[in-house]
Amino acid sequence: MENTFLIGLSQQIASHRSMEVIANNLANLSTPAYKRESVAFEQYMMNVAATEAEGGGTVPVSFVLDRGTVRDLSTGRFEQTNGVLDFALSGPGYFVVDTPEGERYTRNGHFQLDNQGRVVTDDGYVVQSDGGAIALQQQDSDIAVGPDGTISIRNQVGASVQLLGKMRIVTFADERTLKKAGRSLFDAAGQPATPATADVRVHQGVIEKGNVEPVVEITKMIDVMRAYQASVEMTKGSEELLKRAIEQLGAVPQV
Amino acid sequence: MRALSIAATGMMAQQTNVEVIANNLANMNTTAYKSQRAEFQDLLYENIERPGAATADTGSVLPSGIQIGVGVRTAATYRLTSQGNLAQTGNPYDLAINGKGYFHVMMPDSTDAYTRAGAFSLSPDGQIVTEKGFIVVPGIAIPQDALSVTINAVGQVQVLVAGSNLPQTLGQLELARFPNDSGLQAIGDNLFTESPASGAVLTGLPGSPGFGTLQQGYLETSNVNAVQEITDLITAQRAYEMNSKIISAADEMLQISSQMS
Repeated sequence: MENTFLIGLSQQIASHRSMEVIANNLANLSTPAYKRESVAFEQYMMNVAATEAEGGGTVPVSFVLDRGTVRDLSTGRFEQTNGVLDFALSGPGYFVVDTPEGERYTRNGHFQLDNQGRVVTDDGYVVQSDGGAIALQQQDSDIAVGPDGTISIRNQVGASVQLLGKMRIVTFADERTLKKAGRSLFDAAGQPATPATADVRVHQGVIEKGNVEPVVEITKMIDVMRAYQASVEMTKGSEELLKRAIEQLGAVPQV
Repeated sequence: MRALSIAATGMMAQQTNVEVIANNLANMNTTAYKSQRAEFQDLLYENIERPGAATADTGSVLPSGIQIGVGVRTAATYRLTSQGNLAQTGNPYDLAINGKGYFHVMMPDSTDAYTRAGAFSLSPDGQIVTEKGFIVVPGIAIPQDALSVTINAVGQVQVLVAGSNLPQTLGQLELARFPNDSGLQAIGDNLFTESPASGAVLTGLPGSPGFGTLQQGYLETSNVNAVQEITDLITAQRAYEMNSKIISAADEMLQISSQMS
């Protein structure tokens, strides 16, 4: 009988976790290049806790287990901002930024300049090119970045076009094992970063929005809530059953 | 229940978003106002099961692990420094900067401030001052008998006085530039001050390399795009609503659990 409670509990815990993941997706509705997540469940078979089957023998009990959060790697909608330092990547690439914890990777291409004219993220982490930081001079204007990440600027003193190097764009053999580090950054967690091939293209003046679909999330939210409710009802039902069994079987016969 | 606090971060972020949009719309007709954007990032993640943790002694590892995010944070509100349109006013002391740069203003406490709003006028002693009466550096005084005032594209202030056919040059306006315009600190009244984020000021003559030119009789309008702001407002409002839905769903789940026995 207790198995019913425990199975119900495993589902209730899983529901709580799914709700947290859905809440995080919706909270990040406006976060550029946010990748939505969903929880992957699996059946956890337990032969040890086998319950007695009708007519003898045992039936294994299966619990629900949240095995992992799976990231949807599809590219978000592109939104034109016309910002000179707004970039989006088409294809499975990442920008490289230098943080105090080491190299981190991001697809959020909303960059700014810092007080030394270097291209940095919103948190001031320096965006890496093949020659380190991308530093602009006071006189530089008309920053143009080509599809392959080549940065060219016009220095107004000479009015000539200069090349400032190439943005470092990397790809990973298995993007799913990248760890989210918060602040739109990913941690490679030991996986080697390889320079991106030509199918990854840089778009200037464009920002990749998150790939959260509000309709999907709200539907899932209702789904999770109702599944939770059903599970609680099941627990209640078996509790009632247990109560009645105790009352009726344990009743002292009236003489 | 973490879903409650996660959704709360989402609601707070959207509230910031609406506030920024409201400020943009309120300043739609403010001279040389630069529209702002709120920028968001995901908050930290809690690793419940690390990706790559071993699942069995045979060497298989978790392909994804369980990482639960704890919401969203406002990373920055940044200014779009794109050029606003130039609107003709005909007032000789209205100046617009076409290109990069800021006018240098001397505050009453002798500190420096910078502005792109060139709606200037004259002080009682004839000096070119801002709308608030702060002196525009280098403090050019226009003589009382001046018939006409010309400020040319490169910032030279010239007057024509009675009894003379030749214009008389009174001084030169300078422009200031910063490595990172968006990092300037806004202090209200259309004024900005240098900050650690903006970098050190660089002054130069209008029209010199990297600096814009001046346009007399014009004012720079704000660069707020009303259509864009309104669509952003609708999106923000809906996102706020959806986050509040999560709160009521989480609340209902809690209610269900409390009625369990």
